[in-house]
Amino acid sequence: MSSPMEVIVSADSAGQLWNCAVFDLHTGTNLLSYRGGNTSSRSLTILNGEYILGAQLGKNFINVWEIQRKDQLQQKLVCPGVVTCLTASPDGLYVLAGIGEAIYLWEVPTGNLLSILSRHFQDVSCIRFTDDSSHFVSGGKDNLALIWNLASVVQLDSSRVSEPRHVLSRHSLPITDIHCGLMGPQARVATASLDQTVKVWEISSGEMLLSVLFDVGIMSVTLDPCEYWLFCGGSDGKIFQVSLCNTNQCRDKTFQSDSEGNQVLKGHMNMVTCLSVSMDGMLLLSGSHDETARLWDVQSKQCVRCISHKGPVTNAAIVPAPANMFLPDSRPSIPLPRFSRHLNPSEQGEGAGPGGVYLRLGPNTQVPEETYLEKADKLHSLMCAVTDKSVFGDGENTKVRVSELEEEVKTLKKINKDLYEFSTQLLTKPT
Amino acid sequence: MTKRKKRQDDFQKVKLKVGKKKPKPDNATNVNFRSKSIRLPEQLKRDDSGPTTHRQLNIKDLLSQLHHYNSNVKQGALVGLRELLSAHPALVEQHVSSILSEGAALFTDKDAAVRAAAVKLLRFVAQCVPADHVAPFFPLVSAHLTSAMTHISSGIQEDALKVLDVLLEHYPALLAQRHAVLLRNFLELISQRRSGGAGGGAERAGKGGWALTITTTRSITAQQWRLTVLLRLGRFLQAVVEERPEEEGVTGGSGPDMWGGEKGSVTPLDVSWEENILGKGGVQIYENSGATPTARSTYRLRPHSEPGTGVSEGLCSAETVQGFAGTLVPLLLEVWVEAAAGEKGQAESGQLLSPEAMALMFQILTILQLLRRLAPQRDQQDQLDAWFRTYYLNDFKQHFMRNFPYGTLEVAGHKRKGDAKRMRQQVMSGPVAGGNVEPLALNVTLCQVMVTLSLRARDHLEGQDADWLGPIRGFVRETLTNGGKLSSRHLGALLEVVWRMVVTQQSRVVTEELLQAVYAQYQQRNLSLPVRTLLLRFFSRLYIQEHQSQPHIARSRILARWLAALPVQLVQLGGRNPQLSAQILQTVQSAAAWGNKDLLHSLQTHACSLYDPQEGCVVLLPADSQQRLVQILYFLPALPVDLLACLSQICNAGRVSAHLAATLIRTVHLRSPLSGWSNGSQDMAVRDVDYLSFLFSTLTGFSSEGLSSLQHADDEGLLSPSPLSPLTVFATPLEQFTHHWDVVEEVCHCLETLGSRSQCFDILQNAIIKNLCGLAVVPDCVCAAVLRCVPRLLDPSFIPGDSLLHFLSECCLSMLSLLLQLEQSARKRDAVWEACFASMSTVPRLLRLVLQSLHVGELCEEELPLLAQILSLLLQHTQLRNQMVANAAVLQHIIQDLTRCCGGKAREQWLSDLLYCYTVTVAGHRASMGLRDMY
Repeated sequence: MSSPMEVIVSADSAGQLWNCAVFDLHTGTNLLSYRGGNTSSRSLTILNGEYILGAQLGKNFINVWEIQRKDQLQQKLVCPGVVTCLTASPDGLYVLAGIGEAIYLWEVPTGNLLSILSRHFQDVSCIRFTDDSSHFVSGGKDNLALIWNLASVVQLDSSRVSEPRHVLSRHSLPITDIHCGLMGPQARVATASLDQTVKVWEISSGEMLLSVLFDVGIMSVTLDPCEYWLFCGGSDGKIFQVSLCNTNQCRDKTFQSDSEGNQVLKGHMNMVTCLSVSMDGMLLLSGSHDETARLWDVQSKQCVRCISHKGPVTNAAIVPAPANMFLPDSRPSIPLPRFSRHLNPSEQGEGAGPGGVYLRLGPNTQVPEETYLEKADKLHSLMCAVTDKSVFGDGENTKVRVSELEEEVKTLKKINKDLYEFSTQLLTKPT
Repeated sequence: MTKRKKRQDDFQKVKLKVGKKKPKPDNATNVNFRSKSIRLPEQLKRDDSGPTTHRQLNIKDLLSQLHHYNSNVKQGALVGLRELLSAHPALVEQHVSSILSEGAALFTDKDAAVRAAAVKLLRFVAQCVPADHVAPFFPLVSAHLTSAMTHISSGIQEDALKVLDVLLEHYPALLAQRHAVLLRNFLELISQRRSGGAGGGAERAGKGGWALTITTTRSITAQQWRLTVLLRLGRFLQAVVEERPEEEGVTGGSGPDMWGGEKGSVTPLDVSWEENILGKGGVQIYENSGATPTARSTYRLRPHSEPGTGVSEGLCSAETVQGFAGTLVPLLLEVWVEAAAGEKGQAESGQLLSPEAMALMFQILTILQLLRRLAPQRDQQDQLDAWFRTYYLNDFKQHFMRNFPYGTLEVAGHKRKGDAKRMRQQVMSGPVAGGNVEPLALNVTLCQVMVTLSLRARDHLEGQDADWLGPIRGFVRETLTNGGKLSSRHLGALLEVVWRMVVTQQSRVVTEELLQAVYAQYQQRNLSLPVRTLLLRFFSRLYIQEHQSQPHIARSRILARWLAALPVQLVQLGGRNPQLSAQILQTVQSAAAWGNKDLLHSLQTHACSLYDPQEGCVVLLPADSQQRLVQILYFLPALPVDLLACLSQICNAGRVSAHLAATLIRTVHLRSPLSGWSNGSQDMAVRDVDYLSFLFSTLTGFSSEGLSSLQHADDEGLLSPSPLSPLTVFATPLEQFTHHWDVVEEVCHCLETLGSRSQCFDILQNAIIKNLCGLAVVPDCVCAAVLRCVPRLLDPSFIPGDSLLHFLSECCLSMLSLLLQLEQSARKRDAVWEACFASMSTVPRLLRLVLQSLHVGELCEEELPLLAQILSLLLQHTQLRNQMVANAAVLQHIIQDLTRCCGGKAREQWLSDLLYCYTVTVAGHRASMGLRDMY
């Protein structure tokens, strides 16, 4: 059996059978499960495709598993406080954790605590990275969402207080979930809040683009990869699907009789706490406090599968399957160091340790990737080439085409002339 | 012979004699006549080609007369044009090009009367032509204006300023585009360029070799002339600053708009789910990034004006502004010194000024202030501030601050002849003199100018600027605390000064001192609304924007006190001023969300009066504020029992919308320990017992007092109890019923998600038995709510108690008979219907109880049809059919009784209907059973 491309990773707060489990996306079979403890909401993350990190519910440590050794807890990272949310950067170099009102940033290769950001006034409820790890967005129970630039946060000069790049302050109740779109710094961010709205923002400018008002508080939000649809999980168990593009197709649908219920996915009995869309945008995963995770077909809006848990689902996500997951013999390329709990370890420990930052490029970032601009150029030239060919064609084709057209013009002229003569005859004919 | 004689006759010699008068020759011209010239002010011939003036001149004649050599004709033509155009406004649109080009040429006319008429014409035209129509001709007009301003004759220069006034009034944007030329002209009006090198060693290079000029030929004094020019310059700069395109100008500058809301370049799109689901207007965010495409594109195919005078070399960078300021500021300083020195002779101390000098000084400061705002971007503004500081701080300190708080000189007593004359001139020149500038305005503006020079605390040494910041601080404090009422304009400026000082000084002492002064002003009674709003905005912006990054502001005790006082003010305001309340609420919400301890404490204390169901803010304010208040509820540290009682009453009082009531219930739900959302760290605000009793009292919708008072009231709306309706039903108004129905829906949902169903139902059962079962009079909405709630919560494994079932059956029967008796709206009927059937189909014993309680023998004759109707309704309902069959024995008994009762008479319609239903349901079922038995 070939290993699946995408898998479901989910966790519940009871943790009776497992802490977190991996399911096949298409068959729903339980592939792996990791044991020990349970995980609090929005705090399960895969680090660099080699480790699974999950913050223990109500305790001040993070459980770490090596991704191929499912039974054995690799280690526990002890943190300064109860971790409310956790995420690892897509390039596997940084780990962010919301602990109380502060955000802690660790560098993975060394385990150094690089920075403590305390700009939230109340507990941080959610942190998300952009797909290129250049920015991250944090949302808190103080109604604020902050957009941070990672480069400006990681700095040696500890005297300067780092400021967020944008402060998004239009929500009026605590923020419950954040989704960060693709396209790096040009991405769009969706924030959900208890004030019954979901708002879409631009990372680059910090401007709000869209605000959708619902009639219940929204507990989770996600966008499909094309950003055609906005999925919002309500506190009453409904999932709302908002179309972000106004195509003719949508307009036609309003004339159908069932348009009323068409855009609401009903099935959960209690608040929907997590949402995730598969890579191809066809399947939607939702986890709820009614102790089930459901898989929906986006096109038909039908529930395809229901995966029951033993407690309220705290984390559920569709992720690309890491390569190491199904190879029991593989080993992580780097051992995970112990995360330090203080800002400057050199001051306490070795004393005269060098204050430099250890640099290690991620495996996929060693070859410089094309920037988005270059990609766009390439795409544009490709598209132009297609249109050039179809419209103008090569040299020979053109000649043939031109002669064809000339002939056509000739025939048309002839027909016109005939018509003219005929009509003049008809008119001038003496009656 | 004869011929000869005759010849002599012809040429007789006239003899002239001495002493005699010389006779007149025959051919002498008689010059004794008087001639009169013929003037033709009116055309004799009537021209029908177009409208004419009263002199029968049409517009072509008038325009051609503008070139006449005679100034009287020109003036007459100008007057005529004005008359013609005011009579026929349509002509203006047609001829605006020629009118402007011909008329503008007369700005430089030699004759003062012609110029005055030309200005009048311009004023008239400007009133009726919008700016975009004039734009193509504006280069020409402004060229004429420039030539008039730089004219050698002083009279023409003076009148040019009047032209400028008109243009500034009507076309500020167009004029502001041409600032590159005009600014230089202003300089030339009051000064002259010094010939190279003659300036002398004392002059700094920055002065650029300009010196003030004094011309003695003018009709007014040099000082007055300068005032006139500076006034115009100030207005012009104001126009330049205001007409700057918005995109660049995100300046935290000044002015009243500074306290306004933020403006984004993208207009966000607001959608509500109900609208969206109906498909009205799809969401389009990716085409144009926002709700509307940004129409204010700065891109133009062709520049407005020819290169050289355009915006390109305008004041769009700090360097150009510096260049201009470098010329202007020394001149302004000289004018200041002159004005100050002129006063020294009269008054011994320099603090008291004559109104004229004060106006002049005020203008100088205004111009300085505007110069700073000319820089388009914020960082450039800072750069400019630093530049001013390095070059002019000492000058400013020396001249401006020496006599700092200025006052007016009392000149009422000795009015000399010259003074009187001067006064008359001032009156004649009208607004030119700038009126009377109050000393307060002068002082405040001075503060504003000086404060911009102060440095950010990061790079300044302690006490560096104390020598001049001290007096300013003292003045500000004095002005704010001396109890006087300030106008909103002055107060706005003062608050700006305070803001700047608080932000730049970064010392706690200064902050406390200044904020104390502002707070003293804030605490005054009877402030006018704009002033109050301004102060409120100042504080709330200080809190929301600055306290995050600046610890000295965050720790300010005054700010904390102000915040703590807000809930009290909200309570006191009540519903009197919704705008102020909205402003306060915004701040309160932010502070509550950010966990400000003082505010939360105060909010907790006053929560009960805020959320009072009778006269609390939550019912008095408009819907937006109500929503905010409900949202604030989320952040309260604790929700005690009395507050919950208030909230429950609010939900049912009908003064907040059902939607908001649902939000309120959900908010309380989130704060309860049973919601399960909050992960751990936050301690719970509501005890679960309190929460459940809140839900129950919201479910019933009537307080226990209300219910008990209903028991004794003998109201018209009551239906007396009868065997068919064992409970007396109090019919609530339709509006209240539907509102309560929506609320019940939300409560049911909350109860459903609580967790263990059977326990939850047990609690509910106890509550119903305890509070409702003994009642004789029950409102219909309570019945409906109970009937609605029970089936939704009932766990199949749980067996409800007898007394509950008994009560339910009574409710059910009463509601059914009420339904049939009263003319109700469709919504209410459906709701009651649904509730009854749902409860009867989920609780099988309930149906049996209902049927058993029907005793035909006790009914009077009128009630029989009603009973039959109820029964047939029950029989018709498909979901109940099986259960009806199960109770067939009871049913059969009832129907037999019923037939017997009216057996004597002819069979009535209702009876045959009922029998038909019965046969179809029961007999049909039996038949199918029988069939099944057979096979």
